[in-house]
Amino acid sequence: MAASQHGLAGGLTRGLAVRASTTLETVQEALGALVARYRADEVLTVVRHIPAREAQFRAMPTWVRPELAAAYHAKGIEKLYTHQAAAAELAHAGKNFVVVTPTASGKTLCYNLPVLNAVLKDADTRALYLFPTKALAQDQLAELHDLAKRLDDGFGVFTYDGDTPSDARRAIREHGHVILTNPDMLHTGILPHHTKWTRVFENLRYIVLDELHTYRGVFGSHLANVLRRLARIAEFYGSKPQFICCSATIANPGELAAQLIAEPVQVVEENGAPAAEKLFVFYNPPMVNRNLGIRRSYLNEATRVAKELLARKLQTIVFANSRLHTEVLLTYLQQANRPGPGEAEPIRGYRGGYLPGERREIERGLRDGRIRGVVATSALELGIDIGSLDASVMAGYAGSIASTWQRAGRAGRRSGTSCAVMVASSAPLDQFIVQHPDYFFGRSPEHAYVQPDNLEILVNHLKCAAFELPLRPEERFGAVDLPGLCERMSEAGFLHRSGGNWHWVQEAYPADTVSLRSVTSDNFVIIDTTGGTNGDEDGEPEVIGEVDFSSALTTVHPKAIYLHQGQQYHVERLDFEQRKAYVKSVNVDYYTDAIRYTQVRVLEIAEEEQVAGPAVRAHGDALVRSQVVGFKKIKFFTNENIGAGKLELPENEMHTTAFWITLGRKLLAELPYALSDRQNGILGLLYAMASMATLLLMCDARDLGTAVGERPARPGVETEWQEFSATLGDPAQMKESFEPNLYLYDAYPGGIGFSEPLFRVHDILLQRTRELIVGCPCERGCPSCVGPAGEKCEKAKEVALAILERLCA
Amino acid sequence: MNVRDRFASLAALRPARKAGVAAESAVAETAAIRVRGFSPALPDGAERLAEMLQAKALSNSFGEHLSVRKWFSEAIGCEPPEGSVNADALRLLAPGACAEVSDPRQWLFLDTETTGLMGGTGTYPFMVGIAWWDAGGLEVEQFFMRELSEEHALLLTLAERMTERPVLVTFNGKSFDWPLLETRYRMTRKIRAAAPRAHLDFLHPARNLWRVHLGSVRLAELEKHVLGWNRGADLISEMIPQFYFDYLRGGPPEPLVQIFLHNQMDLRALAGLASRIVAVLADPRTDGADGLELYGVSRICERRGETARAKKHYAQSLEAVLPAETDRAARRSLARLAKREGDLPLALKLWESILGGSREGLEAYRHLAIHYERQVREPQRAAVLVRRALAELRRPPNRSAGLSAALLRRYRSDFERRLQRLERRMLIARRTGGTLLDAINPESRARD
Repeated sequence: MAASQHGLAGGLTRGLAVRASTTLETVQEALGALVARYRADEVLTVVRHIPAREAQFRAMPTWVRPELAAAYHAKGIEKLYTHQAAAAELAHAGKNFVVVTPTASGKTLCYNLPVLNAVLKDADTRALYLFPTKALAQDQLAELHDLAKRLDDGFGVFTYDGDTPSDARRAIREHGHVILTNPDMLHTGILPHHTKWTRVFENLRYIVLDELHTYRGVFGSHLANVLRRLARIAEFYGSKPQFICCSATIANPGELAAQLIAEPVQVVEENGAPAAEKLFVFYNPPMVNRNLGIRRSYLNEATRVAKELLARKLQTIVFANSRLHTEVLLTYLQQANRPGPGEAEPIRGYRGGYLPGERREIERGLRDGRIRGVVATSALELGIDIGSLDASVMAGYAGSIASTWQRAGRAGRRSGTSCAVMVASSAPLDQFIVQHPDYFFGRSPEHAYVQPDNLEILVNHLKCAAFELPLRPEERFGAVDLPGLCERMSEAGFLHRSGGNWHWVQEAYPADTVSLRSVTSDNFVIIDTTGGTNGDEDGEPEVIGEVDFSSALTTVHPKAIYLHQGQQYHVERLDFEQRKAYVKSVNVDYYTDAIRYTQVRVLEIAEEEQVAGPAVRAHGDALVRSQVVGFKKIKFFTNENIGAGKLELPENEMHTTAFWITLGRKLLAELPYALSDRQNGILGLLYAMASMATLLLMCDARDLGTAVGERPARPGVETEWQEFSATLGDPAQMKESFEPNLYLYDAYPGGIGFSEPLFRVHDILLQRTRELIVGCPCERGCPSCVGPAGEKCEKAKEVALAILERLCA
Repeated sequence: MNVRDRFASLAALRPARKAGVAAESAVAETAAIRVRGFSPALPDGAERLAEMLQAKALSNSFGEHLSVRKWFSEAIGCEPPEGSVNADALRLLAPGACAEVSDPRQWLFLDTETTGLMGGTGTYPFMVGIAWWDAGGLEVEQFFMRELSEEHALLLTLAERMTERPVLVTFNGKSFDWPLLETRYRMTRKIRAAAPRAHLDFLHPARNLWRVHLGSVRLAELEKHVLGWNRGADLISEMIPQFYFDYLRGGPPEPLVQIFLHNQMDLRALAGLASRIVAVLADPRTDGADGLELYGVSRICERRGETARAKKHYAQSLEAVLPAETDRAARRSLARLAKREGDLPLALKLWESILGGSREGLEAYRHLAIHYERQVREPQRAAVLVRRALAELRRPPNRSAGLSAALLRRYRSDFERRLQRLERRMLIARRTGGTLLDAINPESRARD
C-alpha cells in the first residue's frame, strides 16, 4: 500500500511498466497456445484490459497527532486517498460507518488511523478488531507492529485467539490497546469470561469489523447475535463502542452493517486508491456437442490454463469451488509438474480441512517462491499474505462477483500487471456471467442477507447471553418477545427466574456447543485407520480432518471416496452417533457424488400474492425432509459414470423458510405439451431459477435447496406427496390436473433470510432466468440453462421458456 | 402456526438433560403459574431446609442469605496447630509470604459448591463454606443462596469474614474457587472482594506427597488414606449442581442437606490435611518403612530451590522402601542435584544404578555417554553405552513405562547420531593416533 501510493508517480512506474509488458506478453502467449485449436472468440468470451488508475488524494486531517502523522510519513504516506480521508472524518465525528474497498486500496488505514490516534491521545482507549479468520488477524498484526515500533511502542497490539498461549493471555487483557481476534473467539473465549476483560470493556471505544461482506447467511446471522451480546456486556461496563467496518464491493453494505450492529451506519463508497493494470479473461470451454450443450470439462480446461501459465514461470493460484475439486485439480497439476530429484513439491493444495501448521508452511512457501502453484478453496480468498502472485485461475465462477474480484486480486495484489482467468463451468451461473460481462464489470448487483432473528440461532445466543449476565425482563434481544422466550427456556431447564431476572442454570457451558459457522454445531471428524504405511512404528489411527454436519452425509457417507491433500481415502464406516468417519487410504481412478432426495411441506404462509401466469408467489415456513439415498462413481478425466450404490442414511428433518411459486392449473392446462414434457419443463425452470437466485442472493448453491411438490390443500395439512423429481418420481403416477409448487428453500434450520428477499425480487428473478435460458446457445436444454438434456427431456427448454413467457407477461 | 409451536420445534430448546423425577413433577405443577410471570420469592423447599439445618437468615444491605454454623471439637476433627506455624514448612508452602501466614489464627479455610466446574461468568457459587480454628476446635460456617438473587448478600458477608482472617487456605482454590469468587465480585459492580494477604493452596503439596501412593488426590481420598478418617456415605460430587437446580425449580431440599454435610466434611478434611502437610514438610518421618512421603518432600524442596534439604531427603527416601519407578525417579533427581553441585562420583554411581529401558534409564545412558565422551574422553566406553541404549530401544516398547512413541523416536535418533559421531571419532583416532581430534572437532559440544 505504502509503495504504490507514492511510487506510481515516480521511478517505480517505469519498473512496473517493464514487468507489465513481459507479464502481458507472456499471458497473451499462453492464451494463444490455449485456444490454438479453437475459435478464439468463442472460447475467450471476454479479454478485458483494465488500465491502471490514478490515485485521488486529500491532505492528512489536522486532528491527527503529529507523532502518528510522522509515523505514516516515514512509511511513505503523507496524504490520504479520498476514501481514507472520508473514513477518518466519520471516525473522528464518532459515527458508525462502512468503507467499501476493493483489494489493495489501503483499507487498514481507514481504521488504524482513527483508532491509533485515539489510543495515543488517551492511553486507556481500547479497540477490538474482528476478522473472519484467525489467519487474517495474524496477517494484520505485522502492519500494526510496524506502526507500534515507529511510535516507540506507544500502544500494545496483540492477537487473541485459540493459539494464544495461556500465560500470555493475562498480559494481553491488561496491556493490549488493540486486540485482534475473530468472532468465534469473542463468542467462546472473551464474552463468557468478560470479568477478566473488565479493563477492555470499560474502555472499549472502537470495534472494527473487517471483510464485512463475509458476514452473511449463517455466519452473519450468528455474528449479529454475538454483537448483541457484546453490546450488553459493553453496556454493563458503561461503554458504547463505535463501529468501523470494511467490506468488499456489494450492493447493500450499509444495510448489511446496520443489520449486524443494530445501529445506523454511514457508507463510504468512492475509491481514491490507484490500481495497477490487469488482464481479466473469461474462458468458456469449447462446445463438444452443440445439440446437448455439452462443453469440455472446465476442470480439465482450468488445468490446461494453469499448466500453460506455470510452464511460463508465472506463479499461479488456482481456485476451485469445493474441496473435492481442489483435490481433483491438485491431482492433475501435480501429475503435470513433478518435482525434480531432491526438490520439494512445487504445487500444493490449501483448504479448510488442512491443519494449521501445514497451512502456515504453504503460505511461507508461496511468499518465498518455493511453491510455484497452489490450488485453493475460498480459504485463500481473503487477505492472507501469500505475497503477490502473477496469475489467478478460477475453475468455475466463485459464486459471487465480490469473491471473484477478491480471487482475481490474489494475483498482482501490490503492484505490477497481473492476469485473472475465470474458466466457466457449464453451470448456469457461470454461463450467464461469461455471456453477460456487463453484469460482472458493472455496478454490483449483489446483496448480502442475514437473518439475526433466526430462532434457532437466536435462542442459542440467548443461552450464551444468560450465561454472561442474567437477562432482565426489560431488555431487548432482537425482535423476539424476550420474557416469553425466557419462560420457555426456563421450562426447558436452561434458565431460572430469580429476583425478576433470568439466570443460567445448567452446568454446561453454552458457547461451547454453538458454532458460528453452522446452524447446528455438529462436526464429523475423519479418522485415517490405514496405519503402518507412512511411519515405521506407530500405525495408530490419526485424525486428518473435519467436515461439518451438512456436508458430512454427502462427502463421507459409507463407500465415499474422500480426498485430502490429493490422497484418496475410502470411507469404511460412518459412525453417525459419534460423528466419526473411518477412512482408509486407497488409490482408485474415480470419485463419488452423492444423490440426495428431498420433500418440502409448507407450514405457514407469511405472504402470498397472485401474479401473472396465472400463478402465486409466496414465502413462509416450511418443513424439509431430505435423505442421501445413494451415490454415483465418476471416473477421473472422462467423468464417466462407472457405477452407483444405495445408501441407508438417517433422514434429516429441518424447519426452515422457503420461497415458492405455485403454477396455476390454467397456466399448465394451456401449455400445448404432453404431461411428461410439462413436468420436465417445470424441473428445468426450477434448475435455472435456482441458479439465478444464488446470483441475486450472493450465496452458495449449497445454501439454497430446491424441490418441486404438489401444492397441498391447506398449509400444515398432511397430504400425500406427489413427488416427481427426475431421479425418483414416476411421471405416470402424476395426476392430470395439479398445481405444482416450485420451492427455493434456505438450506439451514430456521432459515437465514433468503426467502423474503426472493419474494421481493420475484420479477427480476424471472427476468434473469429468462435471459439465461434465451441466451444459452444450446438447442434443447443443457447443464448451463435448464439442466442436462436427456432422452426424456427433449422439450425441457422449450417448455420452461413457455412457462416463463406466461409468468413474465 | 403460533409462536409456541415454533419454539417446540427448536433444537436449541431440547432439554439438555433430564431433571430428577421429583423435580420434574414439581416443574409441571409450577410451570402453569410461572408462565403468567409470577415467580415466588423463594423456592418451596427453602423453609424446610432452614429447619432441617437449624440455619438462620443473615441479612445485610444487599438482602438475605442462609447461614449454618457448627463447631467441631478436636476429637472429631484434627489438631489445631499451637503457636506459630513451622517456618521450614511455610518456606516450602508459600515462600516470601506475609507475616500473618505464620499465625494459624489468621487462617480462613474455604471451599465452595458451585453450579458447574467450567468457570466463566455463568457459574454460581451457591454455597460457600469457611472454617477457622477456634476454642481448640474448628468453627465451620456455611453460606447458602436460597435463590440466585441472594448472591450479593452472600458475597458481602463473605468479604467481611475474609477481612477478619486474611490468610486464605484452600484445596485447588488458586485455580478454581478464588478466581470464581473474584468473577462473582466483579459481576456485582458494587461489592469489593477482600483480597487475601496470602493464599495457601494445598493441592500441589498433596499431589507431590501422595499422588504416587494413591493415584488420585481427591480430597475425600486423602482424608481416608492420609488422615485415616471415614466419612461414611457421601454424595457423588457430580450430582451437586443438579441437586441445587432441582431445588430451585421447587424440588425437595433433602439432597441439599447432603451437600451441606459434604462441604463440612471437605472443610474439616482440608484443615486436617493442612496440619498434616505442615507437619510432614517441617519434619518428615524417616523411621517409617515408606519413602514416598520423603520423596515428595524432596521434590517440593527441589522446586523451591532448597537443594541441600532436597538432597538429604532424596537420599533418605532411597534408604526407605520405594516402588521401583519412584526409586528410579529419586535416583535420577538426586543424580541431577549431585552433578549440579559437582559431586560427580555420586551422580555416576546413581546413573549406573538405573541404566535400562525406562525413561530414567535412557536419560542415564545419555548422561553417562556424554560424560565418557567429553569429560573422560573415552569414545570407546561411550560407544559401548550408546550401543546398549540402542539395544534397549530395540526391545518391544514398554508402554507401561509411560514413554511416548515420539520420545522413543527422539531418543533413538539422538543415540544413533551420537554413535555415528563416536564411531567417526574412533576411526579418525585410529588413523591419526588420536589426540588432535578433540581440538578440531567441536561438533559434539555444539550438539548436546
